[in-house]
Amino acid sequence: MADRRLSVSLRQPAPIPLEVDFTCDAGDVLAIFGPSGSGKTTILRTIAGLYKPEHARVRAGDETWSDTGGRVFAPPHRRAVGFVFQEYALFPHLSAAGNVITALGHRPRSERRARARDLLSLVHLPDQQDRRPQELSGGERQRVALARALAREPAVLLLDEPFAAVDRGVRRRLQDEIDELRRTLDIPLVLVTHDFEDVIRLATHLLLLDRGRAVACGALPELMSRPDLPWLREAVGLGSVFDAVVARKHPERGLVELTFDGGVLLAPERAVATGTTVRVRIPAREVILAASEPAGLSLHNALPGTVSAVHADPGVDNVIVQMAVGRVRLLAEVTRDAIERLRIGVGTPLHALIKSVSIDLITRSA
Amino acid sequence: MSRVRSIAAALLTAFCLLLTTIPRVAAQRSPAIAAAANLNFALREIADQFARTERQRVELVFGASGTLTRQIQDGAPFEMFLAADEEFPNQLSKAGLTRDAGAVYAVGRVALFAPRGSPLQVDDRLDGLARLMRDGGVTRFAIANPEIAPYGRAAEAVLRKHGLWDGIRPRLVLGDTIAQAAQFATTGNAVGGLVAYSLVLGELEERGTYAVIPTADHPPLRQRMVLLKKAGAVVERFYRYVQEQDARAILQKHGFAVPQ
Amino acid sequence: MDWDALRVSLWLGAGTIALLLPWGIWFGRLLAVREFRGKLLVEALVTVPLVLPPTVLGFYLLVSFGVRSPLGQAFQAVAGQPLPFSFEGLLLASAIANIPFVVQPIQRGFEAIPLDVRDAAACCGLTPWQRFVRIEAPLAWPGILTAAILTFAHTLGEFGVVLMVGGNLPGETRTLSVAIYDRMQAFDDRSAGVMAAALLAIAVATLMATTTLSRRVSRRRG
Repeated sequence: MADRRLSVSLRQPAPIPLEVDFTCDAGDVLAIFGPSGSGKTTILRTIAGLYKPEHARVRAGDETWSDTGGRVFAPPHRRAVGFVFQEYALFPHLSAAGNVITALGHRPRSERRARARDLLSLVHLPDQQDRRPQELSGGERQRVALARALAREPAVLLLDEPFAAVDRGVRRRLQDEIDELRRTLDIPLVLVTHDFEDVIRLATHLLLLDRGRAVACGALPELMSRPDLPWLREAVGLGSVFDAVVARKHPERGLVELTFDGGVLLAPERAVATGTTVRVRIPAREVILAASEPAGLSLHNALPGTVSAVHADPGVDNVIVQMAVGRVRLLAEVTRDAIERLRIGVGTPLHALIKSVSIDLITRSA
Repeated sequence: MSRVRSIAAALLTAFCLLLTTIPRVAAQRSPAIAAAANLNFALREIADQFARTERQRVELVFGASGTLTRQIQDGAPFEMFLAADEEFPNQLSKAGLTRDAGAVYAVGRVALFAPRGSPLQVDDRLDGLARLMRDGGVTRFAIANPEIAPYGRAAEAVLRKHGLWDGIRPRLVLGDTIAQAAQFATTGNAVGGLVAYSLVLGELEERGTYAVIPTADHPPLRQRMVLLKKAGAVVERFYRYVQEQDARAILQKHGFAVPQ
Repeated sequence: MDWDALRVSLWLGAGTIALLLPWGIWFGRLLAVREFRGKLLVEALVTVPLVLPPTVLGFYLLVSFGVRSPLGQAFQAVAGQPLPFSFEGLLLASAIANIPFVVQPIQRGFEAIPLDVRDAAACCGLTPWQRFVRIEAPLAWPGILTAAILTFAHTLGEFGVVLMVGGNLPGETRTLSVAIYDRMQAFDDRSAGVMAAALLAIAVATLMATTTLSRRVSRRRG
């Protein structure tokens, strides 16, 4: 919806170099991914009005928050922005409820207590209202920070490395909760992270940032099926990401059958209900290319398709082959030798061979 | 948080209690009179007598004549100044800060004092001191600072007269008033000192031995007093009182000679 | 015990706090949150009264505000009395001498507030004033209290400046510390002892209070 869209355009040579342009629509999750020091947090702070780069244009819906050209600048307390800080930045002298109430200044006084209670219940902390931040665990503090950010009824929700300080189990749960939340919120959500797991789990869109510059920006499945992102390959390892539906479960074989926009995949059994949509990730290194459909092999998946792109980086031994399988683009990483032997080029019909154990199923935790 | 709150509450209470001590004495303050330190006992007695007979109070501030002169020059609100010499009050008169040249109200004496237990043998010719110096037994000897206290000047004159000044100089401890010199002399920090006779009679008699120095050994300690420009009626009365019979008797009791 | 002197001392302490604290909170916070050119010099200047002998301060005050100076004469014309040898003059001297005791603990108090807590307050929709009153001041409170207590105790202990600028006038500028000196010169050791014990007790109480407070600050940070 255009009236809720966040649009950001930043330029600055120094002290922190910046060169980004992006938009994020309501209901979308834009993950800004990059190494430490690439300027991710600076971008978030700029959107919130906590940082003023040389040239900035930030618009949320029909409100212009910053426009250096037109000398417009709304200070942070006048922007309807919800910010969850990396270390939560909770007010130590206030209880959980007190923290949330601080952001409820726009509501009449009589409503504030009740509203704070509701918000804390929303983030699954109904009994911890009167506890101080020091008395809460990392995950609980995160939830309070989230509740406080939501209390503002923000037009944009910003999350700065929200799972950096919590352990794995808590992290999975929090990711699911945020995923659930954003479906009901219907506002743009911008998430900064250096952990690709977060990206795969939550993001609908991805912005790759390197030293302040946007290397690539777009919808996640499309970006992940691009063969020409050496930066991403070095940082995380290439792999296709796309959505699939659980069609059938084969408990006696220990497998589940997934249908996607290009065929059927067999993956190891997981506790997923039939009919749910899951996200699938297939690392490029795990994909073998075959000129003809093989027989007598252990693997379960042999998907026919056509080569849509081949990408070689100078100085790198391996080549990335992008294969069109139905409407999905799979990536396979193979040696130059393989390219020559199979005479792989755009348009070559091939089979993509994938071991079921290589398929990474991104599901909600039980 | 509650700990901080209770500290804050305690402080606030203390502050409010303080507020109840208003008004300050400012308005009803008795007139202030500056006096040389050697008058510590004599003048207090005179002021008490004055309060009893005339039913008026004065506040006495004691110090070295030089220091008090400086303060008066800097605008200190004294109404009268009783110095230990004549030079300092004359300085003020010349600067136009006094009503007139004032009057000599007493002539002071110097005494050699040795606290109990000191190796110093006192006598009015300083022979004992000379002997102790020769034996190397003088650790410290107290006098008032000659630059700001007339009694210090007199002490220097006495020591020079007896040829002891250069020898004893490195051993001197200077009090910035004659009262402080007496302090040093009595607390055992020094083997003794040259102090005001009036102070000896006032307090030191039981604390050691003393010998009064002949007036011929130093320039006379004629002590002059002056009324300052802002003197009020009470102080004018006090000025006259000091020159009357009762006050003169007290001064003499404390070892001063009084002019005819 | 010279009750007048005690009263003058307490009034001097309270008056110095009243004069310095509001300014100190503003300035200490400024030093904590802002960076600007020459900040190092400003911080050094704030510390100067700490290392300066009180007599130097007394000297400069007498020279600048005495009746022989233009400033002093102007003051006298307006107030009807000279600035030195008055309680007001003493208050001024005390305020200048206590600047580091006020500014530094407050600066530390505000510095202890994490940057992102301040940012979070802004993102909660609080205006700068609301941020100061509801978030920053409650968190910097131990620093502010320490500043007040230290200033009070330091003022009680002042001697050199008080004697030079105040002149030992009973009921007006004779503080407890000066009264002790005065009593000793009058060979009244008993009174001097009582007053010295009182000052010692206050000093110890002060140290205990500030130690408790600094523990509080480090506990909260952790």
